[in-house]
Amino acid sequence: MSLVSKFGNLRRLIKSNGGLIGSLKSSIWTDDIREMHFVGEDKFGNKYYQNDNYFIGRNRIVHYNVEVVGFDKDASQIPAEWHGWMHYVTDNPPTKVPPKPRKWFAEHTENMTGTSDDYVPYSTARPKIESWTPPRA
Amino acid sequence: MLRLWPIGRILGARTAAITAARGSSTGVTEKVEVFVDDKPVYVEPGTTVLQACAEAGVEIPRFCYHDRLSIAGNCRMCLVEVEKSPKPIASCAMPVMKGMRVKTDSPVTRKAREGVMEFLLMNHPLDCPICDQGGECDLQDQSMNFGSDRSRFTDINFTGKRAVEDKNVGPLIKTIMTRCIHCTRCIRFASEVAGVEDLGTTGRGGDMQVGTYVEKMFQSELSGNVIDLCPVGALTSKPYAFTARPWETRKVESVDVMDALGSNIVISTRTNEVMRILPRMNEEINEEWISDTTRFAYDGLKRQRLTSPFVKDESGNLVATSWEDAFIATAEKLSAVKGEDVAGIAGGLMDAEALVAFKDFLNKMGSEGLCTEEIFPGDGAGTDLRSNYLLNTKIAGVEEADIVLLVGTNPRFEAPLLNARMRKSWIHNDLKVAMVGSQVDLTYDYEHLGDSTQVLQEIANGSHPFCKELNKAKRPMVVVGSSALQRSDSGAIHAAVSLISQSVRANSSCDDNWKVLNVLQRVAGQVAALDLGFKAGVDHIRQNPPKVLYLLGADEGAITQEDLPKDCFVIYQGHHGDIGAAMADVVFPGAAYTEKDGTYVNTEGRAQQTRMAVTPPGLARNDWKIIRALSEIVGSPLPYDKLEDVQGRLCEVSPNLIKYGDAEEANYFKQAQELAQLTKGQLDNAPLQPDISILSDFYMTNSISRASPTMAKCVTATKEAAASKY
Amino acid sequence: MASKVVLRGIQEVKPILSVNKTESRRRALNLYRAWYRQLPYIVTNFHIPLTTTQCKSRLRSQFNKNKDLKDLRVIDMLVIKGQMELMETVNNWKQRNHVMQLFDDFSAASKSKDFLSKFYEGHEQ
Repeated sequence: MSLVSKFGNLRRLIKSNGGLIGSLKSSIWTDDIREMHFVGEDKFGNKYYQNDNYFIGRNRIVHYNVEVVGFDKDASQIPAEWHGWMHYVTDNPPTKVPPKPRKWFAEHTENMTGTSDDYVPYSTARPKIESWTPPRA
Repeated sequence: MLRLWPIGRILGARTAAITAARGSSTGVTEKVEVFVDDKPVYVEPGTTVLQACAEAGVEIPRFCYHDRLSIAGNCRMCLVEVEKSPKPIASCAMPVMKGMRVKTDSPVTRKAREGVMEFLLMNHPLDCPICDQGGECDLQDQSMNFGSDRSRFTDINFTGKRAVEDKNVGPLIKTIMTRCIHCTRCIRFASEVAGVEDLGTTGRGGDMQVGTYVEKMFQSELSGNVIDLCPVGALTSKPYAFTARPWETRKVESVDVMDALGSNIVISTRTNEVMRILPRMNEEINEEWISDTTRFAYDGLKRQRLTSPFVKDESGNLVATSWEDAFIATAEKLSAVKGEDVAGIAGGLMDAEALVAFKDFLNKMGSEGLCTEEIFPGDGAGTDLRSNYLLNTKIAGVEEADIVLLVGTNPRFEAPLLNARMRKSWIHNDLKVAMVGSQVDLTYDYEHLGDSTQVLQEIANGSHPFCKELNKAKRPMVVVGSSALQRSDSGAIHAAVSLISQSVRANSSCDDNWKVLNVLQRVAGQVAALDLGFKAGVDHIRQNPPKVLYLLGADEGAITQEDLPKDCFVIYQGHHGDIGAAMADVVFPGAAYTEKDGTYVNTEGRAQQTRMAVTPPGLARNDWKIIRALSEIVGSPLPYDKLEDVQGRLCEVSPNLIKYGDAEEANYFKQAQELAQLTKGQLDNAPLQPDISILSDFYMTNSISRASPTMAKCVTATKEAAASKY
Repeated sequence: MASKVVLRGIQEVKPILSVNKTESRRRALNLYRAWYRQLPYIVTNFHIPLTTTQCKSRLRSQFNKNKDLKDLRVIDMLVIKGQMELMETVNNWKQRNHVMQLFDDFSAASKSKDFLSKFYEGHEQ
């Protein structure tokens, strides 16, 4: 590989990350900088990229919406329609084949574990002793 | 009619012979010598082979035979070889003969048992893992001990096993009739002991079915006992179904408080929860039966419980607090009033320890207003002489009596096991029963003398024709129900009954030790309370309205808010949120009878102890301890810290209270009767009517059974059954 | 007769380690010193929720508990046990809960005696 082609790679890499500033930001937010091609964006502002020069498992990339989540990023922030593409269930991103709308689709929520909104299991068994509740006056 | 059954007569004659033998030394019958496995035993003639073997220490396997029921001889499990007999004989039905040689473990006997067991198992489902009887099943045990070690059962497609439709016999008993082996114990129990002819068989041979003929409820106050009687899992307890196994429960021997008899019970508990209640044998009291409230009201112990102290806030609502706050709120009120302005009412479920602590506490504060909810006439000797308020003849005494006069009581529902005894005596000893009071179904025949107090008056002054019969009797009993003494003319009724008893005693040929006068109490704590010197009835409180009223488990509503002055401070201490807790300003959660070691004195005057099977729920505490703790907060601590100290105090007041198991005799009948003649009150014209006359009223009589869902189901079911055309 | 038996008993006793009081005293002090020096490391290693000073006073009270012992063999045995404990602790053969047991004096302190406090706590009898 010649020096020229290496410079060409660097140029493409910087370009695909949106210039020098974009590359800097990308390396700060994701600890990584790769050449990648934009595929789409979901309703939460997460951006999806692809670069088939990397082997499968590394070739689909998400950049979470830093303005909303900051460093608090989590794989559960990927909504269901992108989840399929992201995890190689399908090769068609929802931008290409939008999911069929169903009335039972629920609003996507991320995993709330560790927050005040997290799910706490509770006992549904009846108590052994039922206490008397005094009548209200 | 059962009374005319030959078996009944034979049994009757035998018991009479035995009692005669016991009574006099001259009439000893010659004993018969039999050999059980070559070991000689001497038994009474007429004894069965099975009983003779038991005497020799050999237990013969059996399904249909039961000590307290007539002999059916239909299960064939008790087959034994007898020398010179061509075939094995059913030992339960065969009387012994002189020189009989019984072989209980010979090859013939064993083969016979194996054969019977094989036939029984041919039509018995092998569903032990899902059967509630598993682990305490006679069939299971005996097939292990006496059955064959291999099966010849080839019906792997399950085409030939008998299958029987289950019957709905009410909310207490679950039937899985496929498991039935037709021992007919339940049928015999129902017709002989319980006295309801509801159960019977239809069909013959392989088509035989045990049931109620038409689908209806098995209506008896003793129905739960068929669960214990059933040797297999055909009849099991509905509320207990699939909840626990016998080997994982802890058993605590205790005493029942649902009625005043104090039946002996075993409380099975697991994970600090009462799983079920079973009878414990006590020949003096309950034999081996218990009533349905005793057996099934335990789920009331898990509902409507007081689990923390409550104090009324400014808006008049009871709010849960800590013990400290509740005590301080109470102590402030108590220290603000004079001693004589404090009064206390003790309910019927209280143990003697709590009662004595209660009495000492209030007496120490200077109050004499200690009452029981249950009324008892105070005129004449009142409660000063013990003989006045006890069942002096004792429960077992019914079997020796030859005539019983019931006054204003329905023993069938007020004391079901006393009634079962009377029925037993009626069958075997030709007991004659007469009744003054409204006509009820006692399950046996009795002479109804009328329900007016006029009749009582006539018997008392000797003008009634029934007096002749009474005077002819050798062992007469007069039983007056506590429910008849709840009326305004209770003093006059008690005086009349005591006059009748005294004159019968004088005129009839009964011996000097025989006691005639009997009072049948309704609640478990009453006798102990009267022994400790509580005033019976709340008249004292009505006349002297208190400023602070302390209700110790008083839940029957003897005193309501209307009887009290507006600013009266009410303290309630008890285990259930019922009438008492609803009207209180401060509530202390106490322990129920399964949660404390408590002394109860039954209507005979027999002190017995309940045992702590589970811990009191939540912040609830043992009752005497609450009073002891409160006394310390008020500033005059009671001088006992331990249960033994309280029992010592009980002994100081009345030594009979801690003589557990003994019924202390009471005397001074004559003096009591003389004092009773000073009674001024006149008899009312209102007819004598017991409180409980039908089965549906029997199930809910106190705060525990009122909280019980099972008992509520029973009430609905009995009402439905009463409305149905069967 | 009996006194003879006792005498023989005394004569036949074999020492475990120490032959006289000075020696046993030295062993006990050595053990105390060894524990004392190890305590700061134990506190850090096992995340004991107490300060080193608290642990030291606890150590002292543990030793003081046996201050009236006279029998040399008993003292020796306790010293040996103490050394074993120390070794197990220092080598991390113990886990945190085992080490905590050495510094736990809660169970002894919380037993209330009078009726009223037992009543509030729900203790039986």
